[in-house]
Amino acid sequence: MTLLHRDPNAPAAWVDNLPVENRYTYGLAGEKFFRAIKDNGQILGTHCPNCDQTYVPATVFCERCLAQLDEWVDVGTTGEVVTYTFLHVNLDGSPRQDPEIIAFVRFADGGLVHRLGEVDPEKAEFGMMVQAVFKPAAERVGSILDIDHFKPV
Amino acid sequence: MTAKIKEFPGISLSEQDFKDGKILFNFDKLNGIYAWDTGVGIGSYLASLKNGVILGSHCKTCRKVVVPPRVVCEWCYRPMDEFVPLKDTGTVNTFSLCYVTWDVQRIKEPEIPAVINIDGASPLHGIMHMLSEVDPNAVKIGMRVQAVWKPANERRGSINDIMYFKPLEEK
Repeated sequence: MTLLHRDPNAPAAWVDNLPVENRYTYGLAGEKFFRAIKDNGQILGTHCPNCDQTYVPATVFCERCLAQLDEWVDVGTTGEVVTYTFLHVNLDGSPRQDPEIIAFVRFADGGLVHRLGEVDPEKAEFGMMVQAVFKPAAERVGSILDIDHFKPV
Repeated sequence: MTAKIKEFPGISLSEQDFKDGKILFNFDKLNGIYAWDTGVGIGSYLASLKNGVILGSHCKTCRKVVVPPRVVCEWCYRPMDEFVPLKDTGTVNTFSLCYVTWDVQRIKEPEIPAVINIDGASPLHGIMHMLSEVDPNAVKIGMRVQAVWKPANERRGSINDIMYFKPLEEK
């Protein structure tokens, strides 16, 4: 006799969950960037005078000349849609009734990936100017989602 | 090595700093649900743990009894011949006094993980489990121990159906 047959009383599979949680702190520049969003509803960048580049989101070092950056600039809340895509499924794979529009919105020499709202999907286009719609100040927690969405100007 | 470093670079943060909102952070939780096929060997092992028995398997050619049971002999690569129920007593092969929990919290009373050679299995064949009901300073390699089982209605076919091993009370 060999041991080829499963014990009918044996559990077929061991089902469990890996308890993995994490806290990500934003770092020196990120802290100031998200504070500005939370407290003032501002989008900040940092300017490198050497390379004449303005980084958004803000960074503490210039990625071209590696100089430390301490010139902070408010880049406003209106940016340009560089590219966008429609999402027809949710994160868990379930289908969506209305597609969500995710866009890369350019600010200065950088930009943010965020969702577009208050816009007809057929009218979304490259180069359209969009404005950040912030959540009410009391609901902001210091996250990129403190900007609820971007809407056409 | 770290003893030589007087001051670490960076900003140290306490739990309180997170609570007070001194620092912004993003909290995330991984969806880590998995299902692991137990197979014939471990499946039978878990099913018999539910019945309060530690199961091994026997290779007649090599005259080996291994625990947990495997379906193929690791020495001769032939199918094992039979499952054999083993005793729930054993001998401490090795152990550790662990003053840190799995999620890195310091504890006063150490947890004592140990490899326990199960009686009835071939020499030096054992399973890893916890020791308890014992003075940490009195734990010795070669110590005789016995399993402490959960009540039968609480067992669910898991290695935790054995709560821990405690020193064997000689009869």
